[in-house]
Amino acid sequence: MSSADPGSFRDPASRVVIDGDRVFRLLDERGMQAWRVLAASEFFPKAVADGRVVAASELSPPPPGSAGALEHPSLPFISYPYEWTFSMLKDAALLQLDLLRDALGAGLTIKDATPYNIQFVEGSPVFIDVGSFEEYRPGEPWIGYRQFTRQFLFPLMLRAWLGVPFQPWLRGDIEGPTPAQMANLLGGKKRFNSGALFHVRLQARMEARMSDRAIRSDLKSAGFSADLILANVRKLRSLVESLEWEHTTDGWSEYGSCSHVARDRSAKTEFLEEEMSSSSPRRVLDLGANDAHFSMVAAQRGALAIAVDGDEAVLEDVYGRARGLDLAIALSDLANPSPSQGWGGVERPSLFQRANPDLVIAYGLIHHLIYAASIPPREVVSWLRSFDCAVIVEFVSPADEMVGRLVGNKLPDELHGEREESDFRTLIAECFEVRSERRLSPERVLFALRPLS
Amino acid sequence: MIFGYLDPGSGSLILQAVVGGLTGLAVTVKALRSKRAMKRAVKDGAPVDEEAIEDTSLPAEP
Repeated sequence: MSSADPGSFRDPASRVVIDGDRVFRLLDERGMQAWRVLAASEFFPKAVADGRVVAASELSPPPPGSAGALEHPSLPFISYPYEWTFSMLKDAALLQLDLLRDALGAGLTIKDATPYNIQFVEGSPVFIDVGSFEEYRPGEPWIGYRQFTRQFLFPLMLRAWLGVPFQPWLRGDIEGPTPAQMANLLGGKKRFNSGALFHVRLQARMEARMSDRAIRSDLKSAGFSADLILANVRKLRSLVESLEWEHTTDGWSEYGSCSHVARDRSAKTEFLEEEMSSSSPRRVLDLGANDAHFSMVAAQRGALAIAVDGDEAVLEDVYGRARGLDLAIALSDLANPSPSQGWGGVERPSLFQRANPDLVIAYGLIHHLIYAASIPPREVVSWLRSFDCAVIVEFVSPADEMVGRLVGNKLPDELHGEREESDFRTLIAECFEVRSERRLSPERVLFALRPLS
Repeated sequence: MIFGYLDPGSGSLILQAVVGGLTGLAVTVKALRSKRAMKRAVKDGAPVDEEAIEDTSLPAEP
């Protein structure tokens, strides 16, 4: 049974339809015309061969009601820019600019510039919206420039220049900051950076002055050419290249050096490997993945691993090691995971709708939810059950040293009940079957669970 | 007609000419001048190329 992808409706020329594991792109006459030009170019097969653009094959005959149709390989996991780290967005921005440069060289252009057209496969960015390419018409400016600044450049500037994470902004406003908003935010010396003066302040001023004036055909008759777009792309590329996030490795990033982490790592790895041998999961969701050690173990054993963590610095390091691995990265606070949002509340499905795991790893996690995020233990167990798949979970008792640090100044009567190991055993018995367990220390136990129907 | 589903923003479009050094500056000046000339012509009631007016979607006077 096929269904239209809820996030693919803005471009009337090209629409994605999902049918089980298969992904199709339905094209109207204009979309089909653009595809013919793209398919005949030297640019497209080369970009597909080097892994920068997703592959596409034409279906013949096309389904009724469409002028043409393409089939794409199914992507293992869809993530959104508000779940990416700084380097992921930066690499995606560079890919967008490089593809535009190369496309222009072949007489093509890219009609938009949004990170939603880019996905990460085995740790590398891949451009997935083949429908965005079209023939370049002489005299046309780059239509996606404004969108590029709002959804790539300004978010990167926020982190690199102001130390402000871009993810909450992109999650709250899918279109990204406007030039006027960025102009208001940029102060100090950065205000005088040539990139800020041009792409932020001047763009904000021009937008305000020309808000109701169409200029496209005037530019064309005034002699606008692709060389001007290429000059802009060159300058944008060197600006994006110059943006760096100097992150500190404190807090979670040093978690791996805690004594219990090193002590328990091999036992936890063994427990995971036993679970993987018995259930052979295809998709493993590693919640609170930290340095993604267990995600990598799962990926090396043939599963797609989705490493979720709320610490951007630690996931930056994971991204640096993810190339070539079947490992997806999602930056998200587990007490407030990415919701379903956008048009109709469904355009961008929630993180867990997209994860669709058949094994969940919850190592070193639930005590943080219970003691730091104040989630009742019963709610945490019910949440683990909601994934409707096998779960391996580490229980940490109130007597554990780490729990003492998480509790901080909270008094015992300010904490939720059902915190003891005996309580946890009762809670999991209500909705899971315990397949196996392993005690790591008097305070820590691993459980392998299967959901009760 | 050139059809696009994305609003590129006129300010952002003209900015792309500015980036291109002297050539770009010449294009910018020319484009803005042609816009002003068209507006003046309409204001004075002079005969103008209808197609060109349609293309440029002349805005109302502020």
